[in-house]
Amino acid sequence: MITARPVPRQPLPPLLWVCGASAAAVLLHATEVPPWITISALGLVGWRLAALLGPARLPGGVARAALSLALVAAVFAQFGTLDGLVPGTALLMLMAAVKLLETRSRRDQYVVIGGALFLLLAGCLYGQALAWVPLYGADALLCCSALAVVAYAPVTDTEAFAAPIGLATREVLALAGRTLLYAMPLAILLFLFFPRLPGHFWALTSGENAVTGLGSTLTPGSITSLTASYEIAFRVRFDGRPPPRDKRYWRGFVMQHFDGATWTVGWLPPGLTQRLECLSRPYRYRIYLEPTFRRWWLALDTVMGSPSASVRYTSDYQLIAAHRVTRPLTYSAVSCTRVRSLAPLAPAARREDTQLPPGRNPRTRALALRLRRRAGSDVAFVQSVLAFLRTGGFSYSLTPPPLGPRNPVDDFLFHTRTGFCGHYASAFVDMMRAGGVPARVVTGYLGGKWNPYDGTLIVRQSDAHAWAEVWLHGRGWTRVDPTAVIEPERLYHGILDLLPHSVSAPERLVHAWPWLGTALERWEALNGWWNDRVVDFNSRAQLNLLADLGFRSPQLRDAGWAFAVTLLSWLAWVSWQLGKAVGEPVPDRLGRAYAQLCRKLTRIGLPRGGHQGPLAYAQAIMRRRPDLAAHVGPLLEHYAELRFGSGSERAHDRDLRAFERAVARLAVRRRERPLRT
Amino acid sequence: MTAHARLRERLRHSAAEWARRRQGLDRLPLTLARRRLYILPTRAGLAFGVLVLTMLAAGLNYANSLALLLAFLLAGFALVAMHECHRNMLGISLLEASAAPLFAGSAGSLRLMLENASRLGRYRLAVAVVNEAAVALDLPAGRRGQLELPIHALRRGLQKIDRLRISSSHPFGLFRVWTWVHAPIVVMVYPRAAGSLPLPADRGGTSGSWPRGAAGTDEWRGLRPFRDGDSPRQVAWKAYAREAPLLVKEYSAAGSPLRLLSLEHTRQTDLESRLAQLARWIIDAEASGDVYGLELPGERIPPHRGPNHRHRCLSALALYGAPRPAAAAQRR
Repeated sequence: MITARPVPRQPLPPLLWVCGASAAAVLLHATEVPPWITISALGLVGWRLAALLGPARLPGGVARAALSLALVAAVFAQFGTLDGLVPGTALLMLMAAVKLLETRSRRDQYVVIGGALFLLLAGCLYGQALAWVPLYGADALLCCSALAVVAYAPVTDTEAFAAPIGLATREVLALAGRTLLYAMPLAILLFLFFPRLPGHFWALTSGENAVTGLGSTLTPGSITSLTASYEIAFRVRFDGRPPPRDKRYWRGFVMQHFDGATWTVGWLPPGLTQRLECLSRPYRYRIYLEPTFRRWWLALDTVMGSPSASVRYTSDYQLIAAHRVTRPLTYSAVSCTRVRSLAPLAPAARREDTQLPPGRNPRTRALALRLRRRAGSDVAFVQSVLAFLRTGGFSYSLTPPPLGPRNPVDDFLFHTRTGFCGHYASAFVDMMRAGGVPARVVTGYLGGKWNPYDGTLIVRQSDAHAWAEVWLHGRGWTRVDPTAVIEPERLYHGILDLLPHSVSAPERLVHAWPWLGTALERWEALNGWWNDRVVDFNSRAQLNLLADLGFRSPQLRDAGWAFAVTLLSWLAWVSWQLGKAVGEPVPDRLGRAYAQLCRKLTRIGLPRGGHQGPLAYAQAIMRRRPDLAAHVGPLLEHYAELRFGSGSERAHDRDLRAFERAVARLAVRRRERPLRT
Repeated sequence: MTAHARLRERLRHSAAEWARRRQGLDRLPLTLARRRLYILPTRAGLAFGVLVLTMLAAGLNYANSLALLLAFLLAGFALVAMHECHRNMLGISLLEASAAPLFAGSAGSLRLMLENASRLGRYRLAVAVVNEAAVALDLPAGRRGQLELPIHALRRGLQKIDRLRISSSHPFGLFRVWTWVHAPIVVMVYPRAAGSLPLPADRGGTSGSWPRGAAGTDEWRGLRPFRDGDSPRQVAWKAYAREAPLLVKEYSAAGSPLRLLSLEHTRQTDLESRLAQLARWIIDAEASGDVYGLELPGERIPPHRGPNHRHRCLSALALYGAPRPAAAAQRR
């Protein structure tokens, strides 16, 4: 038994940890709430720290109440409401920080840590991207460590602490980390087997309007920022052979209404009633759609039916859901890249699809009428308009000059002659309609890039595209992409390859350093796995998993069983794992090293007699092998000193390590001719 | 004390009584085994449970996988914390408990020795005599720790400390594990020392029934059997080496005043005050190096001096009039 007392360490100030957990939780939300909220919350935390470490004074009760009221009012003024995720989060951030100002008792500290954990939950509700997960993990670790520190700290006025050893920062982190690691298997198993409910208990209030990606309007001539975004719009996994690249048109919005400058979705078309005949192979695929905050679901070209009962399949082949897509979404669909409508165009639809605002873009209309008169048929008219675009000196650019507000199509066709897909699709449809051919603008995405690591096609915001559809007698709606006439390469390459200088910085970087692209692809494949398997894990996926595990026609109840079995086996495992150390005595490192030393000496014929202590043993060895005395003698003396001597514990620890090393290094050899005694 | 606190106190008491019936009386040294450790969530732990349930509800409602994962992780965290809390006390030994005598109405301390023989460090063990303040203690791997618990005595006599509570809410404060130890620990409580009467006069060598020649350190008197508390310097080591029993050499004090104290010398009216006066005298006589004896009805302590003698006299005062409690203390 070592009796020397270890030197007590400085106790860690628990409030420091509480402040840290609070600040970390606030920082998690720095990108979501207005900056003043983050700054105020951090300022309040800083105030508390200043009072803890320095001479700053804390506000009194009245001042605190006034401060709380002012902050609530400010949040209300900012958002116009206190309801909803963002205002609620902002309020929680500020109130937890105010609570920190009056933190005195242990209970207050627990409350602040609870607030930090709630903020972590809010973070999870915001975004489930894989990239955030390490941050969430670190925050959870910090909160749990703070719990440990708060629980360890003595409550000074009611409890005496006889012999505090103290918990070092490293120990606290290790303790919380180990506990979380033990909890991890349970978390995963519960995640898989805890019965999930299809649907919600109460309605979602998602007031988020962070619209990126495609818009439901198209205004050629006003700058679009789509191509500046390298974000993923959606990912696709084809079941079987994918369509060739130049057939990968992803339909988003179909715009029927034109006011002379802007195309809009206009009327909401009725559901599709006519039958479609598929002229290409049918393509089966699964789409992993990122949130769009719109009600439209994307699909390849002409989808052959609605993927979900809650999604309307309209007569212009759009998929319009009842609710906006506010979270990553997965669905399966079947599409054809060429179809034929068997029924004629309804008169109402024809009226809508030949509508043009009177008096706008007169030159375009005149040109279209002239071309239509010259062409014998609608098909020939389409050809002649495309020929006009091809030969009229048009060029492709992502940074075209702006167009006049009154007659933008005239401006484009007869003056600037520079534009991108939106300009061409818009002008083309305008001319078609002027010539009496039903036509409409379709926006969506073109192409996509394969990720070799998970075999999905990644379609980015920069793949956004606009094209046209015209109604041809006997064929129905037929896709025409006027941009392809100007820049045929657009069908085969992304925008980046065509116009390397007009795209976003990240995209240029990827282009310049291919390895960065590879790393990005790997990362996106990992993200894809995360989104499909973790984020998207729902009651259906759970039942599928149970079916794979051998439950026949699995139900919620089976998930309950699996859950109970899981919980019990994990509890048994943890109990066994943690219980092991309780029964084990402190390892006798010194004894082990000594035994090793004796073994080494026994091997060369110098066994220790049972009666011999280390010093007697040393003398015996010295008598028989004087040559070893210089090495072995001091070692045995060192052992005796360590075993029976007194000294401070720290020195003991250091010497013990030195002894262990020396024993491990010791190499003794049998003498050539053993001396007989 | 509020009604709520009273109710809690009652519940605690009956739970402890139940545990005493269940566990029986303990003998030291005592190792804390699984079946005597009780564990419940603390208030913070209950709040943590509510927090996790809220997270679970939010995760289920929003079908948010990450929120669910967080809720499950924290639920697992709490369960592991429960095991860690439990094992923080498992296998600890309470080696011994002893208390020096104290005076009624004053505070003393109960000295405990605990041992952690395992390779697991134990933290923040709060030990308390029931209804007294707790003292916390850390026990690193393979170590013993000593601590002194405050105790208070109200009345003279033998005071039994029949319940100790050892508890811990390490590591996260979400659970508290505790045990009750019902070991027969007995503390001698001397009467409160009070009274302002002067010491009875020196009886010189003229005492009637009292022999002169009580113990001191001046003149050789003889040998007597060793008693607890005797100075080792007075032990007759040579005799001991000849395999005699442990004996103590006694010397007589020549020239010190001799005082014979008895109830009759006190003039107070009630018994407790008279005993208090006697206690005062004993302390004063011992402090000034006098030789003193004590006479109580039914008990007579010959004149002597030294800490052992003082203890003997004060103990006689403490136990005066009470049933011999030694038998009660021996009962198991």
